[in-house]
Amino acid sequence: MSVIVRTVPSTPIRTSVQTWETIVGLLTEAGQEAQAKLTAVTGVAATLIAEEYTSLAPIVVKPARGERVRIYTAHGALALEGEEPPPLATWPLVEAGWSLSLPCAAEDIDEMRDLLEKHPEIEVRDLADGITAAAAPACASAPGTFTINYDELERP
Amino acid sequence: MTTGVRVNTAVYSTTHVATGMLRGLRQIIRASGLPTTKIINQWEVLERGVATWLGSGHLRALVLEVYDPAKPKNSDLVGRFDFTIEYDYYSDGDGELWLDPDTVAYTVRKNGSYPSTCDYRLVADTADGYPPVTGWSGTTFRSTDGFTRHSAGTALGGGSLGANLSYYRRGTP
Repeated sequence: MSVIVRTVPSTPIRTSVQTWETIVGLLTEAGQEAQAKLTAVTGVAATLIAEEYTSLAPIVVKPARGERVRIYTAHGALALEGEEPPPLATWPLVEAGWSLSLPCAAEDIDEMRDLLEKHPEIEVRDLADGITAAAAPACASAPGTFTINYDELERP
Repeated sequence: MTTGVRVNTAVYSTTHVATGMLRGLRQIIRASGLPTTKIINQWEVLERGVATWLGSGHLRALVLEVYDPAKPKNSDLVGRFDFTIEYDYYSDGDGELWLDPDTVAYTVRKNGSYPSTCDYRLVADTADGYPPVTGWSGTTFRSTDGFTRHSAGTALGGGSLGANLSYYRRGTP
């Protein structure tokens, strides 16, 4: 299994909603069914981004086939110093059977699960579980290139 | 503890303050014992409006009204929280982007929680000539008769912007 990692500069470069729109644009192209599904959960995703949970643990994207994608957001000085994420080599959500996991603090998780009840491809997980920010990349790789972060491969 | 980063761009301070105020109000709603599902469902519309009117200079305040639906209108207010915008908080316009979570925590401590039967809404107080934003409509504030306004201090700021947090409690000072 290989993993692709991207970091999207968030506040103050972008609002939380604009950050989610950038992430949706990384994962899907216009007109794709998955794009409508991701757009439908903008409120939940933007709230989690505003709380900066996505800087502590990644959004994990599992395509039906192909590389897993982990997306972090950068905030404050890291956002100002960071680079725009390069596009992915493929659209990972083209084929049905994908899933997307958003990190969430334990105190918010019940409400977020209720709000995502009608969105079976999208879930929230406790950000304290599994992947942590310890090895989160400080910035994205140069435009037009992609990097496999081998440390990420060792994570659950 | 206050955290901050220095920057000198008006757009960045607008973004920082818009998202920061919504985040702070959601924390107040949650700490008040009310569900935050409503503000999450409206998040996209709220953030677009607040960021637009901060950027245009029309936003005077972002207000959270907590009310009891069982009470008659005009006497149903049970609590209110205002983020009042100061456009010249930093006179030189060269302030850092900062957020003071202690100000929100203090406000929550002073107010306690509300019965779960209460509801809430967010109201933007805008100056005349504000640009329209889809999803927002006109309204008037609930009466604050019998309430006293208390200031908790400036909760977040950036560039020349500052957002002062205050709350209303029933009774005299």
